[in-house]
Amino acid sequence: MNNKGLKLTDILVTIVIAIVFGIVYKLWTPVYYAVKPFGLHFDQLIYGMWFIAATVAFLIIRKPGVALIAEIAAASGEFIVGSEWGLEVLIYGVLQGLFAEFVFAAVRYKRYDILIASLAAIASAIASLLFDYYKGYLDDLVAWNLLLYIVARVVGSIAIAGVFAYYLVKALEATGVTNLVRPASKEDYDALDK
Amino acid sequence: MQFDFKYKETWLHKLNPSFKLMTMVVLFLSVLFIHNINFMLNYTIVTLLLFLIFSGHPFKRVLLILLPFLFIFISSATSMIFFGKGDTTWFKWGLIHITEESFFRGIHLGLRALTFAGLGITFALTTRPVYLFYSLMQQMKLPPRYAYSFMAGLRLIPIMFEEFQTIRYAMKVRGVQHKRGVKGFYEKLRVYSIPMLSQSIRRAHRIAVAMEAKRFSQVKNRTFYYKISFSKFDLLFLLYFIVMLSAAYFLSKQFPYFPITDVRYE
Repeated sequence: MNNKGLKLTDILVTIVIAIVFGIVYKLWTPVYYAVKPFGLHFDQLIYGMWFIAATVAFLIIRKPGVALIAEIAAASGEFIVGSEWGLEVLIYGVLQGLFAEFVFAAVRYKRYDILIASLAAIASAIASLLFDYYKGYLDDLVAWNLLLYIVARVVGSIAIAGVFAYYLVKALEATGVTNLVRPASKEDYDALDK
Repeated sequence: MQFDFKYKETWLHKLNPSFKLMTMVVLFLSVLFIHNINFMLNYTIVTLLLFLIFSGHPFKRVLLILLPFLFIFISSATSMIFFGKGDTTWFKWGLIHITEESFFRGIHLGLRALTFAGLGITFALTTRPVYLFYSLMQQMKLPPRYAYSFMAGLRLIPIMFEEFQTIRYAMKVRGVQHKRGVKGFYEKLRVYSIPMLSQSIRRAHRIAVAMEAKRFSQVKNRTFYYKISFSKFDLLFLLYFIVMLSAAYFLSKQFPYFPITDVRYE
């Protein structure tokens, strides 16, 4: 198995998936501020959509580095077409992708289940909260409100970037398209020996 | 990224894209260390001026682009205004508690969001993605396989939209009707996203194989169709921010709008 870095094929497929989600990211902004009724943080429940590129791309391609590249590419796509959030998205994207990547790396890129996807989603949520802490003076919110904010974001992330991403990839597997881009697994080699 | 409507090229279009991006990242990070609302207000004016005057787009369109900025400003400010810590109460109703401190902190956050939005939209409106990636390859040493993948990926966007239309027509002609409510929404999401994603992956895979065969991933001895370099405008861009932000800082010290120097809760 040749695992020395990502090949152009892996990168292009990752980036194309990311661009699809980049468009979703861009369209998600109006949705986000439409469900923002006076700061009760309903909006935080759907924030997780902005973490989905990393988990979906990794679950499809299953190679090191893919989660990070996907999240950066999706954020850049959103940035280049002119996001209302501007530069923020790019910088958040880098950190969110990095944190998701850490989770996948921690299990040596060997697990592709719903739990690991949810953990990566939580990691991305933590990354975004870290930035919010500096950018949005989070600690200056009243305690109950801050707690609501954090819980809503984490729950939303698990639901969208964890569970939904997992089932999306499951459905894609049924089309057979994932076999094109995944590295050969141990079962494939065993099948050859039979 | 503008394909279909006209605009004038200004000096901002002639900047080195990597340099423009790096300057803006530095500006972004610097904003995180500003806690004085007077300086922040001036800072916002400096960045928005650049966008208003030099974007090269007609004034009406500029105003139209500014419209969503208003939402960003409000949505960034409200949580902190209503639920921020503070001692001097202005208004209290149920859970909502507006204080002088939380109000100004909220406005400060709104201004921050406006600055980021202003910088971002200026970049997006004055930068051609192709030049950006060529510049990233030449000045920032981004490996070509990333840059060309991204450029190829951007070219697929119109095809994706076409495909979206095709799926829509295909369902229309077969008389498919979607249920209402959450279940219907999920169903709709499924029938569009699965074929679009799978087709995109297949197409990307085919293109990648062709690109690899044509040595697009080669790093050594690579020549570039577009040569991106620096110009006097890059210096002008840097000077604009140095001079204007110094002035903004000085003015905020000499003629403050509000008697507040730090919006954080002590």
